[in-house]
Amino acid sequence: MGGLKEKIEEYWHAFDEDVAGVKDEKSLQEIRNLYLSRKRGYITLLFEELKSLKPEDRPRAGKRLNELKAHVQKRIQKLAAEMASPEKTRKKVDLTLPGRERYWGSPHPIILFKEEIENIFLGMGFSIQEGPEIETDYYNFEALNFPPHHPARDDWDTLYVKDDLLLRTHTSPVQIRIMEKRKPPIRIIIPGIVFRKETPDPTHLPMFYQVEGLVVDRGITFAHLKGTLEYFLKTLFFERINIRFRPSFFPFTEPSAEVDIECTVCGGKNEKCRVCGGGGWIEILGAGMVDPQVFKNVNIDPERYSGFAFGLGIDRTAMFAYQIPDMRYFYENDLRFIRQFARK
Amino acid sequence: MKISLDWIKDYVDVQVPLPELMEKLNMIGMLVEDWEEKQEDVILDIETYANRPDTLGHLGVAREIAAALGLNLKKQEWPVAESDKRTSDLVSIQIKDRDLCPRYCGIMVRGIKVSPSPRWLQSRIEAMGLKPVNNVVDVTNYVLFSTSQPIHAFDYDKIGGKKIIIRRAQRGEMLKSLEEQDISLSEEMLVIADEEKPMALAGIIGGGASAVSEDTRDVFIESAYFNPVSVRKTSKKTGVSTEASYRFEREADISFPPQAAIMAASLLTQIGGKATQQVLDVYPRPKKDKTVILRSHRVSELLGLEIEKSFIPKILHPLGFGVREQNKGIWQVKIPTYRVDIEREADLIEEIARFYGYDKIPPQIPPLRKLEPTFSRLKNKKNKLRQLLFHQGFDEFINFSFFDPQKKTLFENSLEPIEIRNPVSSKASLMRTTLLAGLMENVAWNKNRGAESVHAFEMGNIYFWDQGRHKEQVFLAMVSTGYLGYHHWQGKREEADFFHLKGTCELLMFHLRYVPFSFQEKDHPYFQPGYSLALLFKGETAGHIGLLNRDIVEFYSLKDDVWAAELDLAILFGKQPQSFQYIPVAKYPSITRDISFLADRDICYQDIYDEVEKLSLPFLEKFELYDLFSGSSVPKGKVSLSLRFIFRHPERTLRTEEVDKPQEKIIKFLGDKFNFQLREGGKIDN
Repeated sequence: MGGLKEKIEEYWHAFDEDVAGVKDEKSLQEIRNLYLSRKRGYITLLFEELKSLKPEDRPRAGKRLNELKAHVQKRIQKLAAEMASPEKTRKKVDLTLPGRERYWGSPHPIILFKEEIENIFLGMGFSIQEGPEIETDYYNFEALNFPPHHPARDDWDTLYVKDDLLLRTHTSPVQIRIMEKRKPPIRIIIPGIVFRKETPDPTHLPMFYQVEGLVVDRGITFAHLKGTLEYFLKTLFFERINIRFRPSFFPFTEPSAEVDIECTVCGGKNEKCRVCGGGGWIEILGAGMVDPQVFKNVNIDPERYSGFAFGLGIDRTAMFAYQIPDMRYFYENDLRFIRQFARK
Repeated sequence: MKISLDWIKDYVDVQVPLPELMEKLNMIGMLVEDWEEKQEDVILDIETYANRPDTLGHLGVAREIAAALGLNLKKQEWPVAESDKRTSDLVSIQIKDRDLCPRYCGIMVRGIKVSPSPRWLQSRIEAMGLKPVNNVVDVTNYVLFSTSQPIHAFDYDKIGGKKIIIRRAQRGEMLKSLEEQDISLSEEMLVIADEEKPMALAGIIGGGASAVSEDTRDVFIESAYFNPVSVRKTSKKTGVSTEASYRFEREADISFPPQAAIMAASLLTQIGGKATQQVLDVYPRPKKDKTVILRSHRVSELLGLEIEKSFIPKILHPLGFGVREQNKGIWQVKIPTYRVDIEREADLIEEIARFYGYDKIPPQIPPLRKLEPTFSRLKNKKNKLRQLLFHQGFDEFINFSFFDPQKKTLFENSLEPIEIRNPVSSKASLMRTTLLAGLMENVAWNKNRGAESVHAFEMGNIYFWDQGRHKEQVFLAMVSTGYLGYHHWQGKREEADFFHLKGTCELLMFHLRYVPFSFQEKDHPYFQPGYSLALLFKGETAGHIGLLNRDIVEFYSLKDDVWAAELDLAILFGKQPQSFQYIPVAKYPSITRDISFLADRDICYQDIYDEVEKLSLPFLEKFELYDLFSGSSVPKGKVSLSLRFIFRHPERTLRTEEVDKPQEKIIKFLGDKFNFQLREGGKIDN
């Protein structure tokens, strides 16, 4: 029966055509039954026919038939696997629908800004110190070279608890507390809240954040003060910002300086600039070389050691950095304001 | 301080353009805060400092400008039309308290006619923003704003006994001001009196009785130096502050009173009248010259730059300092009496830096000789808490540390609040004893502005008296109300409840390794009765958590439940957390058993937890509440409660039989102790 060989080739061809038309699992199953069913499958039947061939013809035809069986099984298996994969069963979704965002708490802008400042100084080898918010007159004023009845005290409107007890008006008392405890070299910053007797308005508050810095060692100079603060301001703002040091007065520093940065809002070109008032400069830091009297008050020999100190209002600087027109916003804790800083 | 450029030109011939002048002033530390053109003049508003009373007059500012521009001060002549009488013929001066008044000068001008001042004088007064009064008053103001030396004019006719007595006030004495205001005097105050009564509060204000009026013909001009501290104390106590007291309390120039008197006499006699001969000058103990040693090496050491040695006298001379080289590079500097701020070498170095130019000092980074101790653990902990709270969806708020006394009763606690003696407002007269009052204020603020939920925390101090000592203690407070997270189209939203907040507290405690900790049902005045827990750690109460009571919620006009917690971080931070230790990851599989019970509705989970913990069952790695419900499938008065037990052997695979025994033990124990009944099909082996 020479016809078997041809039949095999015909079924091969027919299978390839049938399988090309398969669309779903059902039609695939039909084809599987048609060809591979153990009773009536075409291939099963072909094997039956093989038995009736002459023994010498059997091996060649048998080999070809086995090839056909393998071919059919492989194709069906492959198609079945493709159809069973999740990629085929997954429903089509509109991927442009909004994603699910987790509500992440927002840091307070003042704390955020305080951290930015702290990190700059940590990078310069400063450590962070803290101290009490309710202070004695001695630490807040006297040790810092404010004589008891000196009018310089008027610049620090003070909230008093008792004659000798007050809400610290600056973080400078911590300078004294640290210098009393430690020998130079000292290289610290002191962030914290301070209080003034001020009625709240857009630029004044009875409580705000300040960061104080102190460096004491042998051979510390005014040039070091300038270098440190310039590096700090350029890092906090940007490298090419213009900075101006001009003489000022603080009882606890001598010489004293005030540090201004150029107004980046108007560049000094708008006479009615809301930020700088047209002057082109914004006062940002008070600073100076530690007054020899302050050193004497903490038993550090001003002939052996020198140092510089500086202070910066965090709220005021943050106002400038973020272009916030009213300082009171920081303490209203309005979520529409605070939440913005989650993205800062 | 207002400075008229035209007036400055009486003292120094300023030719430079205005912007350049202002820049110069800024760079020597006389910041021009504002300026305006006024007719022919320019008025500068210059920032002055408490230590520089000499710049509270045009002469002092002119001196600075001259030095900065390298110009000389013009010499001024003050010719006086003199009568044949000497001052001492007409009046006597007696200082009874030399400490409070080291120097007192006087001169008389007789036969004047009190009338409006000449135009030039009026415009000077107007430049200072004042209204001209009459020639006598205007002259005294002119001298003050010119030289910063306050002077005072008395009506000679009204000086009883023609005696000027500078003495302390007596108890009960009064002074009636020009505005008919009674100032009550006390013994520490210095007055200028005649034979009978005080005529003026020394250095502060004159009385109405001896004031110059339209009928005045003869005036006595006072020019003195009063003790700054005394003037300040009296000014503070009486609440009277004047241009004069502002200058005296910053300290006047003790050598200047005679010149100021001459100046006033000259001006008055130019208008009319004749002055007495010689200023009557009572100055019993003349002050010694002040000298300060200045070493050039200290200048470089402090400023960080080498300044040409010859430069130093060149800077100091024009400012009026007498400079004499003592040794090479060492000068003896005589301080002019108007520079009351210069006492030490450092003060002189500032003068050198000021006129050398701060901008010319090269910036340098200070060398790091020794490392600072690394930053504090406390700060790390606070930061970690913040990060965990952000993760839990809490926003960070900051409130003022003040406290409204009304809120003190609302947020009742046992702490004795610290009161501020001079508060900014009566609603901010205490220091806060809880952070929750501020946070509730914020909840109300945000809810009133449309926020549907608020989950926020604040970390900061509370303040109180502790056995007479003031204390400040760092706390953490949280409030939580409304939905959690954002609304999303896909699904249901969770609402804040007690367990959200409790879970947050647990997270904080676990992550800072404050373990083991526990909660205990405990009422607290902030919270609804039966709806609060105390957080315990190492035997101390470290906080409270619960549902804020209705009084508080309604006080802020809120309707929804507000869950709140307040933790005493000072207590937590004061205790040692468990040290961190790596635990090897388990190698062998575990066996999990879920067991469901019917339990009485009023059981307390913490009791069950504690008791099971105490059993110390072998191989039990962990157990937890898996599921809890009641409803139609559960008998009345009962709840269905499933516990999940996870058993594991550290060194080998556990056999199921080994777990059966402890499981039976648990079932029996819970049945005996808590009346638990095993639910049908309640044992599930995984």
